[in-house]
Amino acid sequence: MKPNQNPDSDERLRKVLREWVVDTPLPPRFQDQVWKRIARAEAPSESSFWSKLARLVEVVLPRPRIAFSYVAALLVLGVTAGSVTAQIKSSQLDATLRARYVQAVDPYRTDSPQP
Amino acid sequence: MKKGGLILLLGLLLGTAGFSGFYYLGIAPCRSMMHGPQPELAWLKKEFALSDTEFARITALHEAYMPQCAERCRVTEQQNRKLKELLAKDATITPEIQSLLTERAKNRAQCEAEMLKHFQEVSRAMSPGQGRRYLAWVQEQTVLRGQGMENRHKTGGGSHMMDMTEEPHM
Repeated sequence: MKPNQNPDSDERLRKVLREWVVDTPLPPRFQDQVWKRIARAEAPSESSFWSKLARLVEVVLPRPRIAFSYVAALLVLGVTAGSVTAQIKSSQLDATLRARYVQAVDPYRTDSPQP
Repeated sequence: MKKGGLILLLGLLLGTAGFSGFYYLGIAPCRSMMHGPQPELAWLKKEFALSDTEFARITALHEAYMPQCAERCRVTEQQNRKLKELLAKDATITPEIQSLLTERAKNRAQCEAEMLKHFQEVSRAMSPGQGRRYLAWVQEQTVLRGQGMENRHKTGGGSHMMDMTEEPHM
């Protein structure tokens, strides 16, 4: 309340407010709508992750040193993973062929030979 | 955003290309062996570093050995079938069953002797070092494999049941 306001008009306003009766009913599913709005208001924490990511791609990634490091890292990762996977697969195929040789020459051998 | 997106995509593409390239290059020798006419012999060539001449000789030995092996398998199969019939008829060990068991054991001994002979011939077709390595490995994988059975009795924890899963291949 401002100190220079007229105390009489303030009193009149109070009186009017006291007499004011809200007779309009609440809209259907009012409470449900309120909770939905609260949930929407809390959502920015999730969207901020995407906005941060977008900012990273938009602002940080185009920097030459960052871009080069990123591309080089993914290339090294791909090559390493490819080599390791190929080694594992080759070992499996090798073991299969070894077993096939032993089973071919030994008629009593039906199980998989040990390495 | 456009430039950043392009860099993001380029990194992912290069990573995928690196993975695929090194994977297919890495398994190419094995894949070519698997798709060859005799993959197990191709494996032998690679494993024991055989020259083309040695490989041709060993392939010839292998091809000569296989029909004999198949014939012995056929005999073993006949004996097994006969034994099954006799065992179904009699609950006791009849002289006929005893005789068949002896014949079966003889056939197995003959089979193992022929197998060893073949291994020795193959090992002689290799360089001395590789030949020794091959012989030691293949004997360990085949005729010497039953040694676990004797060890089981030494430890005292094993059962005395015979391993009935062993059947010759056809």
